[in-house]
Amino acid sequence: MNIRNQLICAWSAVGFASICLAGFLFANFIPPISPNLSAEEVAAIYSENVLSMRFGILLIMSSAGFICSFAAALAVQMKRIEGDLAPFTYAQLGAGCISTLVFVFAGVFWTGAAFRPDHDPELTRMLNDLGWITLLMTFAPFIIQNIALGLCILSDKQAKPVFARWVGYYNLWVAVLFVPGGLLTFFKTGPFAWDGLFVWWVPFAVFFTWYLVMFYILLGAIKRQAQSEPTVAA
Amino acid sequence: MSSTYEVTDSAKPHLPGESGVWMFIIGDVLIFSLLFSVFVYDRSQEVALFIEQQQLLNQTFGLVNTLLLLTSSWLVALAVHGARTGHLSQARGCFVLAILGGIGFVVIKYFEWSEKLTADLTIETNNFFMYYYLMTGIHLMHMFIGIGVLVFLWQCVRDAEFNTQGMGVLESGACFWHLVDILWIALFALLYLMR
Amino acid sequence: MAVSLQSRVTVIWAGLIVATGLSWQFGHGFGFREKFHYATAAILIITFVKIRFVFLDFMELRTAPWPLRMAFEVWAIAACVTLLGLYSLGV
Repeated sequence: MNIRNQLICAWSAVGFASICLAGFLFANFIPPISPNLSAEEVAAIYSENVLSMRFGILLIMSSAGFICSFAAALAVQMKRIEGDLAPFTYAQLGAGCISTLVFVFAGVFWTGAAFRPDHDPELTRMLNDLGWITLLMTFAPFIIQNIALGLCILSDKQAKPVFARWVGYYNLWVAVLFVPGGLLTFFKTGPFAWDGLFVWWVPFAVFFTWYLVMFYILLGAIKRQAQSEPTVAA
Repeated sequence: MSSTYEVTDSAKPHLPGESGVWMFIIGDVLIFSLLFSVFVYDRSQEVALFIEQQQLLNQTFGLVNTLLLLTSSWLVALAVHGARTGHLSQARGCFVLAILGGIGFVVIKYFEWSEKLTADLTIETNNFFMYYYLMTGIHLMHMFIGIGVLVFLWQCVRDAEFNTQGMGVLESGACFWHLVDILWIALFALLYLMR
Repeated sequence: MAVSLQSRVTVIWAGLIVATGLSWQFGHGFGFREKFHYATAAILIITFVKIRFVFLDFMELRTAPWPLRMAFEVWAIAACVTLLGLYSLGV
């Protein structure tokens, strides 16, 4: 059953959340740089705080890989529900891995802005724009991860389900909450701009809470699996 | 196996549907409450604009949609009751009519939005129309999902083998539809009616 | 002796239609004329009364475990009061 390896992958959720959050704090990205700022203002932000921004962005990029390993840990438990023919499992795993790239590319663009702060301010702002757009508009891979997980959990017909049913509904609800991110393309201010309530704050809170909640839930599922087959060595 | 249709003992509390669907419903209600609050707050900062732009809405379409959705919700309640007491033909008929009501709502919404877009009123025109398209748009997405759910429920009661085991699914789906109704009741008041 | 569930639900539906008509009228000048703050307050209150009937009788929370019902009752009051409060900021 590979309990130990499963646990290692499950714990990567903690690695991701802590390093990524630390990164955002170092880069001073909470709240995000407003999309409404002029190019000069954005360039000023990057040149004044360049060291902590570079470091923070580096942390964000470094944490991204853990998204993959956590998705893998979830996939193993999902496979217990689906068995050999496991489309939701693979969808979740695939979407989770793509989400890794979302964080990586956001970091790449922001690094581009921070790399040479004496750029033409328009260039700095454009790279900054790309970073935020990459992070917050790409609801698509994220919601597939949640929808696949949600539907998989709800399809569990075993007497002792791997996950509690409410976790399935929770994931579907989380997916819904990421969708407004797509609207940031239309707005530079207000609740649907990338620093707004529904595009930044709600998805940000929901995303990190999801890691903590699913981490806890996953540990429970792994533990139950270990207890149900005690004769097999971990 | 005999089909049993027990009427719920009215003294004992009965949770409609599955507990998990309530988590989803409560979550949705909370998020929409947040959206409504932000709307009313933003409105309070630009009252004149909101009142002026509100005049451009098609009140008739809004009213008809409200009546359609209320009726559709009632039909779903009747359908669930029919299924619970063994009157499957009532359940089937009511689900079909409820679905038609939902489709009618979507069709009217299509005409309403077309009318606005032809008049060059888009999501970027001003804050009022930003909220108008956003709130009715997110609601519309819920409508599509809801109609899908109703079609699924209709299929459940078309099965001659349907019995009380399936009530949980029916109640869950019905509650989602009532949620969509509740959201529209609020939206109608906030967008179309409030002065 | 209980009124059949079916007719209860139908009566509620009729009530909802009437309430809609009433709030429609309030939104179009009836009853309050230029005092539209009162009209809006009435509209919001009627709206949440309608919502309450939908969750109690269509969603069947009236016969559900009381914590769930209470959660919705509390939400309805809180939401109504919050929206009225936010509305009054612009008045």
